[in-house]
Amino acid sequence: MKENGYDYSVVRGFAFSAIFWLIVGLLVGLWLAAEMILPQLNLTPWLSFGRLRVVHTNGLAFGFALAGIFSCTYYILQRLTKVPLAFPRLARFHLWLFNIAIALAALSLFAGMNTSKEYAELEWPLDVGIVIMWVIFAINVFGTLIKRKEKQMYISLWYIIAMTVTIAVLYIVNNLEVPVNLFKSYSIYAGANDANVEWWYGHNAVGFVFTVPILAMFYYFLPKSTNLPIYSHRLSIIAFWSLVFGYLWTGAHHLMLTPLPEWIQTVAIAFSIFLIAPSWGSVVNGYYTMRGNWDQMRTNYLVKFFIFGITFYGLQTVQGPTQGLRTLTAFFHYTDYIPGHVHMGTMGWVTMIISASFYYMMPRITGKELYSIKLANLHFWLILVGQLLFTVTLWIAGIQQGAMWKATNPDGSLTYSFLEGVVALYPYWKIRLIGGLIYFVGIVVFTYNLIMTARGAGVKLAETRAQTA
Amino acid sequence: MDWVDWAYLAFGGALVAVFACIVFYYYKPRRKRHVEEPKYRMLDDD
Amino acid sequence: MSVYSKPITFALLSAVVILVGTFITLFIPMMLPSTQPVSDYIKPYTAIELEGRDIYIREGCNNCHTQTVRPLRTEVARYGEYSKPEEFAYDRPFLWGSRRTGPDLNRVGGKYPDSWHYKHMNDPRSMFAKSNMPAYGWLAKRKLDTKYSYRKVSILGYGYSESDVRNQIEEYRKKVTSADYPARAVRESVTPPELRSELTEMDAIIAYLQKLGRDVKALKKKEMRMVAEASPVTASKRNPFAGSKKAAEEGEKIFKKNCAVCHGEDAEGGIGPNLTDDKWRYGNSDSDLYTTISEGSPNGMPSWKGKLGNEAIWKVITFIRSQREQD
Ligand code: HEM
Ligand code: HEM
Repeated sequence: MKENGYDYSVVRGFAFSAIFWLIVGLLVGLWLAAEMILPQLNLTPWLSFGRLRVVHTNGLAFGFALAGIFSCTYYILQRLTKVPLAFPRLARFHLWLFNIAIALAALSLFAGMNTSKEYAELEWPLDVGIVIMWVIFAINVFGTLIKRKEKQMYISLWYIIAMTVTIAVLYIVNNLEVPVNLFKSYSIYAGANDANVEWWYGHNAVGFVFTVPILAMFYYFLPKSTNLPIYSHRLSIIAFWSLVFGYLWTGAHHLMLTPLPEWIQTVAIAFSIFLIAPSWGSVVNGYYTMRGNWDQMRTNYLVKFFIFGITFYGLQTVQGPTQGLRTLTAFFHYTDYIPGHVHMGTMGWVTMIISASFYYMMPRITGKELYSIKLANLHFWLILVGQLLFTVTLWIAGIQQGAMWKATNPDGSLTYSFLEGVVALYPYWKIRLIGGLIYFVGIVVFTYNLIMTARGAGVKLAETRAQTA
Repeated sequence: MDWVDWAYLAFGGALVAVFACIVFYYYKPRRKRHVEEPKYRMLDDD
Repeated sequence: MSVYSKPITFALLSAVVILVGTFITLFIPMMLPSTQPVSDYIKPYTAIELEGRDIYIREGCNNCHTQTVRPLRTEVARYGEYSKPEEFAYDRPFLWGSRRTGPDLNRVGGKYPDSWHYKHMNDPRSMFAKSNMPAYGWLAKRKLDTKYSYRKVSILGYGYSESDVRNQIEEYRKKVTSADYPARAVRESVTPPELRSELTEMDAIIAYLQKLGRDVKALKKKEMRMVAEASPVTASKRNPFAGSKKAAEEGEKIFKKNCAVCHGEDAEGGIGPNLTDDKWRYGNSDSDLYTTISEGSPNGMPSWKGKLGNEAIWKVITFIRSQREQD
């Protein structure tokens, strides 16, 4: 499908890079989950939990999610501007640079070279590489936008622009550090300040990687795959500006009741509560788009992914602000409840939207139909069940853990030692591992389906057209 | 209330005002056709 | 034409929009003293402690352990005095953490003796049978690299000269390799022979752990002593369960669960001293024993008042007394 001169090679390249890093990151995640019940699995220094957890988070947030974002961005960008990429050769260089950077990131994290700042663990030479990579990406985004044939930019493009600008600011400010040597550096900020900068970054890495670009996909692929216009364009305008304005104030909800000045915590909570509004603006927009066409949940295999995905987003954006409230954070902060929150977003919202976007794009890239809708449905149910088992279990675990930490005897002494709190969680952690395995099988099915599609194994053009149109 | 509280209040008020203006602007009934038009256009073949 | 038709304007506008919150919650606090308080009683890390801290970072200990005690009653009971901003003035990066798979470590310094840490780091399950912490015995098999130590402390502005750093390293080496280092036997059991006279990564990380919260504890002790000296003799305490068999049995259970890892299953001694003989370092009266258990000791005995409470401490004392009487 080269009729418009669109360049799909990078779209496809990033899609398969995403899948590759997804599999790697999940294998590491499964190993981690097993280590929490079987510490003997910490076989070597580079397999020890502390180092491995960082490989998991970086591998999935940056290897998987970011590659998925690049893939969909390059697709959406060309489609919505109606011009080919401004610099296709640069985009291919971007693809290579990205994969080299992620591979080096994984190796260096395995080796223990890390700055300890969450989601910004990479040491300074890699930071430099990533900034260069981001500039290359931005050049293509803005170059293509400037060349565009379609005058007004559609919603998805706003989200893409906001991401491009914000990630650059976040990454540079949080990673300012003084090198000791090639493999070691110290943050330029100290103590409470460093914490404040880190979580301003950390929360917005979540906001501008796991939320903003995923919404860009949602606003493009949902109408496209249902052939229904988004319910309200003006609602999406309000939601967009409030979301990007509000997000930056909220980092300190990760630092509740710490030595950070109290007013920063209070402001963060106020804005976190406010964020429910724009987040649900998108949720409502998604639901109302389907008004009168809910039968597509059954007839169109892609709709399930989008609607369940946005539902998990909706749940998360209520759960997030509430768990930041002072009374609740006192209970939930540091417990397993938080990984429960995290994985509903990542395994629910992020994975479902990226999966469906790939299913939508791949046939249009290769010109051949999806290999198997049956397998796509199987993939859906497996990741849904796996994710729910994982997250709901961890919420319950978190509630029990929080209660055990706080339990006191009548004379005011503590009822449980710390270790009793750990031992009580083993059964939950086993269930979490099972949930993770089910989800992983779903991802293997997804991978197989996508590879077969790309190889042109699927045919029967008319049948799928009817399903997705 | 000291000046910090007033500043808080004024800033909060200003934010609410800006927000209200944006909502009123985009939700003016006579602008509706114009504001909503892009969502149909994006469905055209690209 | 609206802003939605002008990509560059749109980008600039979004930059302004995101910078409002950034400016107010990030850049303004950076200029305020409240995020960077300093205090005379908080001392910077020594070169060895800093090397240990870098190993803590390298191994990602912060992925399971926090370093902030929150001002909550149960948290203070479990870990000790809540954390203050000035304690972190020398922390670059901060290591507060976000997940507490293991306990908070902000007050761990001085809680246990060095020997406890050597044993625990080498094999966590020897201290807590059901712990899921990875074993870090291999740290004792790696010589500590101090090539960059001076460079590190000078980047961090700790104000040590090159010879200060050399001395700190040499002094610490002398301390842990000397014949009368209290943890000598355990250290040698985990350290391979060729490294016993050198500094290992294990030595450094333990030095770091022992530094955590120590300055705050020292200040607290000083304040407490001042209060004690100012007030008249406190009323002597007596064991309400003295001689009760039932209390001794309950005390035994509490002892096995909490104390036996250091003092041995039958209180015969181990990392901590034998409690069945006649030697008492901190006094032998009921009231002395109570104070030692509830407040802890300077040589590594943790304070138990938050964890056990009044009644349980007296039951443990009843058990210890009963051990003595049996012989
Ligand atoms: C309005 C939206 C949201 C708010 C206000 C919010 C709030 C929070 C809060 C308060 C925490 C910290 C909890 C603690 O440590 O006690 C947290 C953690 C987290 N959230 Fe959310 N959340 C939101 C949506 C999301 C979404 C959509 C994702 C997508 C995946 C997400 C991913 C995460 C992650 C990864 C963490 C863990 C950070 C860490 O400690 O390492 N959140 N969130
Ligand atoms: C098979 C599926 C998965 C398994 C078994 C798994 C396992 C784990 C485990 C064991 C942890 C550490 C939790 C702790 O310290 O208590 C973790 C953390 C994390 N995982 Fe996963 N994971 C999976 C999927 C994913 C996916 C798909 C993503 C992202 C796209 C993701 C992102 C994260 C993040 C951001 C954290 C850090 C959470 C925090 O700091 O609170 N995980 N995961």
